[in-house]
Amino acid sequence: MFSSPFLAETGAIAQFAGRFFREGFRPRYEVREFFHQCYVVGYQSLPMVGITGFIMGLVLTLQSQPTMAKFGAEAWVPTMVGLTIIREMGPIITALVFAGKIGSSIGAELGSMRVTEQIDAMEVSGTNPFKYLVVTRVLATTLMLPLLTVLADGIGLYASYVGINTQGTTTLALFINNVLSGLTFAEVLPAFFKTFFFGFAVGLVGCYKGYHATKGTAGVGAAANSAVVVSSLLIFILDLLAVQITGLLGFN
Amino acid sequence: MPNNSTSNQVRLGLFVVVGVGCLLVVLYLLGRQQNLFQSSVPVQADFRNVSGLLKGNNVRLGGITVGTVKDITILNDTTVRVQMNLNQDVQRFVRRNAVASIGTDGLVGNTIINLTAGPGAAPAVQAGDVLPTSEQASLDAMLATLNISNQNLVGITSGLRQVTDKLNNSEALWQLLSNEQLPADVRRSAQNAAAASAQLAAAATDVRQLTAGVRRGQGPLGYLLTDDAFANQIGHAARQLAGTSDTLAVTLNGLQRQLQRGGGPVQTLLTDTTAARQLRQTLRNTAQSTAKLNESMTALQHNFLLRGYFRRQAREEARLAACAAARRARDSARLRE
Amino acid sequence: MSPGTLPQPAAAPAPRNAEVVLTLEHISKSFGDNHVLRDFSLELHRGENVVVLGKSGSGKSVLVKCMIGLLRPDAGRITVLGQDISTLDHEEMDQLRARLGFLFQSNALYDSMTVRENLVFPLRRQWLADRRDQEADLVQQALEDVGLADTANKLPAELSGGQRKRIALARTLILQPEIILYDEPTTGLDPITAREISALIRQVQQKYNTAAFIISHDMDSVRLVADRVALLAEGGCYAQGTYEELARHEDPRVHDFFT
Repeated sequence: MFSSPFLAETGAIAQFAGRFFREGFRPRYEVREFFHQCYVVGYQSLPMVGITGFIMGLVLTLQSQPTMAKFGAEAWVPTMVGLTIIREMGPIITALVFAGKIGSSIGAELGSMRVTEQIDAMEVSGTNPFKYLVVTRVLATTLMLPLLTVLADGIGLYASYVGINTQGTTTLALFINNVLSGLTFAEVLPAFFKTFFFGFAVGLVGCYKGYHATKGTAGVGAAANSAVVVSSLLIFILDLLAVQITGLLGFN
Repeated sequence: MPNNSTSNQVRLGLFVVVGVGCLLVVLYLLGRQQNLFQSSVPVQADFRNVSGLLKGNNVRLGGITVGTVKDITILNDTTVRVQMNLNQDVQRFVRRNAVASIGTDGLVGNTIINLTAGPGAAPAVQAGDVLPTSEQASLDAMLATLNISNQNLVGITSGLRQVTDKLNNSEALWQLLSNEQLPADVRRSAQNAAAASAQLAAAATDVRQLTAGVRRGQGPLGYLLTDDAFANQIGHAARQLAGTSDTLAVTLNGLQRQLQRGGGPVQTLLTDTTAARQLRQTLRNTAQSTAKLNESMTALQHNFLLRGYFRRQAREEARLAACAAARRARDSARLRE
Repeated sequence: MSPGTLPQPAAAPAPRNAEVVLTLEHISKSFGDNHVLRDFSLELHRGENVVVLGKSGSGKSVLVKCMIGLLRPDAGRITVLGQDISTLDHEEMDQLRARLGFLFQSNALYDSMTVRENLVFPLRRQWLADRRDQEADLVQQALEDVGLADTANKLPAELSGGQRKRIALARTLILQPEIILYDEPTTGLDPITAREISALIRQVQQKYNTAAFIISHDMDSVRLVADRVALLAEGGCYAQGTYEELARHEDPRVHDFFT
């Protein structure tokens, strides 16, 4: 057997995920903490995600407008921007911002709890820290990222509407009709469902890195950092997989 | 655990409700667009060529989307069956004889199915009906036609070029165009033609007056008995005839003189024996005609019907002559006085 | 045992007659090639304070983590309150842990929570909603026991080191455990505060008649709290007896601690 840190890490994360599924759906359920984490992970990320989404929609519109105008296809800008945001840019940008904000904070929080023995303290006081800390956070990120993505998409499309109206006038109804005309269920639903996996990846990697932090405060920093790096990478890999799978299912 | 967990829970709840609400609204709008939440009527149509139609493409009636393509199956090597779902609420507007055709949404847009109403009345379409189809000129066919037109255009322009080349190199044409005499000649010819036509018009007017007069009269007999103008005209005609024969005589004299002098084209003409014989014949005919006219006039004068007329005519003439003579006498007498 | 008095050699046998609450039999634990514990055996009786002495890195913390189930020994048997912890599943272990208290060397206070929330946390973990009405009383009681009744709404970061230690002890006490495990309770504290903490450990023992297993190398504190002292050396129980007995011990290894 050869030893590879990469494979060992992958195996450990997979094992961690397995533990999540083994323990996450058995009582007792940490409902209160779950809701609290949803609040922290979801609601408190909204301003950041909203600003990113707004800028994304605006920039995408203003950038594509001159090119589309060259082809005489300015009327297609809402359709194109809508398709781009909902299918790809919204999910991926939101997930990356989310990984940066939430992945690092989970990694740092659990890491510092680990090195100051707070996780042990929980275990000693009769709490399963895996359920209390990991399951709640992973579930919260898994469920909140899709919602954040939907809201970011909405904000991004509104920004696109604003961007189009800086160059001319379009009514909101026409804009919405244009955007919807380019969309089908086969485009919206895969884009929506893949964000669950993005959220799961961010939460799981953040928790894994924090939960297994070592070497004091330096370990906390390393945990936060590698949580962001690994989960960002994982998001892109999952996105690639999502494209392939939706392609195989004939949705592309 | 947060202290102010109640207000945080409210915010979280708001966040979740808004997020899920957004998603549901988008899904509902998409569903309505694809008519998922509406009961629909399945109908079919068979095409030879569907030009890349896809499942989910729109079906339009009068330009309004009324349904979507549900399925496309190949029946055999020349027939493609397209199953469509029409919205329930437009079912009554789609007749059984509506014609389905493949079209495109704009130049580069999606392929769509257009339904157009067929001629005549027909009942509303029912589930499972097969609609008649028409193969409309596809873009490919249009481009092929355009290609032929193009080739024709090339032929035409090359022919046109040859023509202009020839015109450019033709000296005769340019001489014709640069000749100044020609327009004057043409103008004169036109004037002559105008004069001739004016005369013709006058002649036509005369004839019309003549015929109109005949029509107005109560039978030719009564007319002839009552109308003085006719008698005048007949007199006039006779006089003219006499004038003509005088002129003819003068002409003949001229000709005779020319012949005797022996020069000019007339002589050449007349040295041809055939022509001379014909001319002689013509003259003889003319002489006979005048002789017959004279006979007719004499006969008329002796005809019992017209005898009165001619007698009156003679009397009138005599009276006029007497009047004239009297006036002349009076005038001369007055002059003498 | 009378409160406030120093442990007498004569006092030591008394708890020995009491019920045995914790037994360590032939415990071995190694990390790789580092054999931390080798065949360690010890008994703990109800109402008795046992101090385990040892040099840094001699495996004292490993020993105590084995007792609470945070680490699993490679060999040997640990019986807590009559139950062999190696046979317990997660659920049963949690129930057993409710009867144990553990005071971490680093206190391990949840620094995102206030003092009150830190104390309420184990209560809520162990109970369900039926005893919610007693919550405030118990928190107040625990804080009064450690003499910090007015800090309930502060965050751990706002407290001094000694206060944090007291709050950590209050969090341990709130479940009224039968055995308390102290991992170096006076380390990092100034001598006066350390003495206060030691006195507090004694008070708790007398008030609730708990058994205590104390890991320490602070001889001042050991002298104050220990009914019995065990010396951990070379992975095993090198010597045990009362403070006075070991202080008079002639073995240089033992003697080094008391000079």
